[in-house]
Amino acid sequence: MSIYRTGIHQFPILRVALVISALISGTAYSQQDWVLPRTIDGHPDFQGVWANNSVTPLQRPEVFADREQLSAEEFEQLRVKAEQIASDDGDALFGDGFFNAVLSGEVQSYDPATGNYDSSWMVERQLENRTSLIVDPPDGRLPAMTEQASTRLMARMSERRERPADSYLDRPLQERCITYGMPYLLAGYNSYYQIVQSKDTVAIIQEMIHDVRVIPLDKDAHIDDKIRLWHGDSRGYWEGDTLVIETRNFSAESDFRGAAENRIFTERYTRTGPDILRYEFTVEDPTTWVSPWTAVLNYTRSEDPIYEYACHEGNYALEGILSGARTEERDRAGL
Amino acid sequence: MTAKLQPLLNAFSLITLLITSSLAASADAQNIPRTADGKPDFNGIWQTIGSAHYDIEPHAARAAPLFQLGAFGAIPAGLGVVEGGSIPYHPAALAKKQDKQQNWLAEDPVVKCYMPGVPRANYMPFPFQIVQSPEHIAMSYEFASAMRIVYMNRPDFKAPVPSWMGHSLGSWEGDTLVIEVTEQMPDSWFDHAGNHHSAALRVVERYTHLSADAIMYEATIEDPEVFSRPWKLSMPLYRRLEPRMQLLEFKCVEFTEELIYGHLSKGADIAE
Repeated sequence: MSIYRTGIHQFPILRVALVISALISGTAYSQQDWVLPRTIDGHPDFQGVWANNSVTPLQRPEVFADREQLSAEEFEQLRVKAEQIASDDGDALFGDGFFNAVLSGEVQSYDPATGNYDSSWMVERQLENRTSLIVDPPDGRLPAMTEQASTRLMARMSERRERPADSYLDRPLQERCITYGMPYLLAGYNSYYQIVQSKDTVAIIQEMIHDVRVIPLDKDAHIDDKIRLWHGDSRGYWEGDTLVIETRNFSAESDFRGAAENRIFTERYTRTGPDILRYEFTVEDPTTWVSPWTAVLNYTRSEDPIYEYACHEGNYALEGILSGARTEERDRAGL
Repeated sequence: MTAKLQPLLNAFSLITLLITSSLAASADAQNIPRTADGKPDFNGIWQTIGSAHYDIEPHAARAAPLFQLGAFGAIPAGLGVVEGGSIPYHPAALAKKQDKQQNWLAEDPVVKCYMPGVPRANYMPFPFQIVQSPEHIAMSYEFASAMRIVYMNRPDFKAPVPSWMGHSLGSWEGDTLVIEVTEQMPDSWFDHAGNHHSAALRVVERYTHLSADAIMYEATIEDPEVFSRPWKLSMPLYRRLEPRMQLLEFKCVEFTEELIYGHLSKGADIAE
């Protein structure tokens, strides 16, 4: 699947970009000489390609306790370790993995049996001095799961252990090229978005498996409750210069960290400077978490185009996984 | 260019201009929707009607590829959308088409849920939505979440890599949106009837409003490796007028997995 994709986001050397001042002082930056651009229809102009390549982990590592930011000294250590990891040319580090490796000083492979993609597949990551993407709860960590959700998750995990590859249905949705979930949070790997705006519609094009969310800007009712979707049904509206999008009607299979059809997902996009699109989202699902939670990502402007991620068309890996599992069965049976 | 040719070309351009403007006039130029910057407004959800997705050439109705599907799977007749009725294949390419048509259910990439490519994506029996801004036009197709970005007024922007949906460069010719599509994968087809092309395919699309709610869609197809000359297909795109119409999901992959991977499931007979 993804290894068949080629593109300039995947440069042979992992470069660590140090966009320190721009990111840290994102808000302060905007106060100065920058003026929010507007579309031909007078809306705030969010158009262009945006990257989610921050190293900040979703949940705050416990070592930082209640601190939202790193000290200057810690940030310098982070920078030095990040450069070391980058120059070591080891296994690829997706999402939170990069920050965790910096913290522990150890690169842990995602696939110790065979090794994984190496770091040449990864884009440059951006260092921020934040300790978590989650801003609420204030401890920067996911709220506790409800008992019902924990039971559900345990059942699913044991099912996965018992049936790792009996059929394609046992494999994760990403491997099947169906969806990487909504929202797609994984930084550092095809984590690019392009926004195109018209008078009454916003298209958010996601490079990962070529998904487009076409969002009508009206506060009208959502579609019939009977229609359930992988990525839900979205309605957007402007609140001042912030684009607010509410999404519901998720399907029962549309897993997002253990939540599915009952979640209500609210996003707030705000441009805070020439190169930053602040992306805040809140997930609410009383059947999964004891309280709603909110995270903030700072998307950075990219000059690169979006590439076509033709996932399914080149998905030889899924055939390989399934036929490997069948071969193992035959071997075990002595056939 | 020689000085002698110049007046001739000027005369030619003038004729083209006259034809273009007369076409525009027939499209009721005053009444078409326009964006805030005065360009024809193609925003909206569009769909073709007809059977071009089965076969772009004129064809009588024929039976379903699987008898179990009965009338539901039978292929409706169509007048054809190809100018002149026949696609000008080179002889070897025609033989290849006939062979593909014979085995279309097994070989058509769209049956396996691969992205349809252009122009086929525009006449799949699914709606697609245009989101138009001055610099980029997003075309989002319900079928298989296929999409493309049309880069406006950037004639020198080269395709970074070949792709299933191609590289779309747009420009305005009066009130007509012209899109040149290149660098498509050679594997996509034009329909279920085995009509095919090579990696050399170049498609020039023209979108012209017929009225506020209809667009005349034309595509000129060039591929010297497969066709003896350029040829053209055309059909109207109709606006989906249902109140609060919106695209839904047809994720598609999930409906083809048993077909593609079913033989690799536990207990399935494994072909040795």
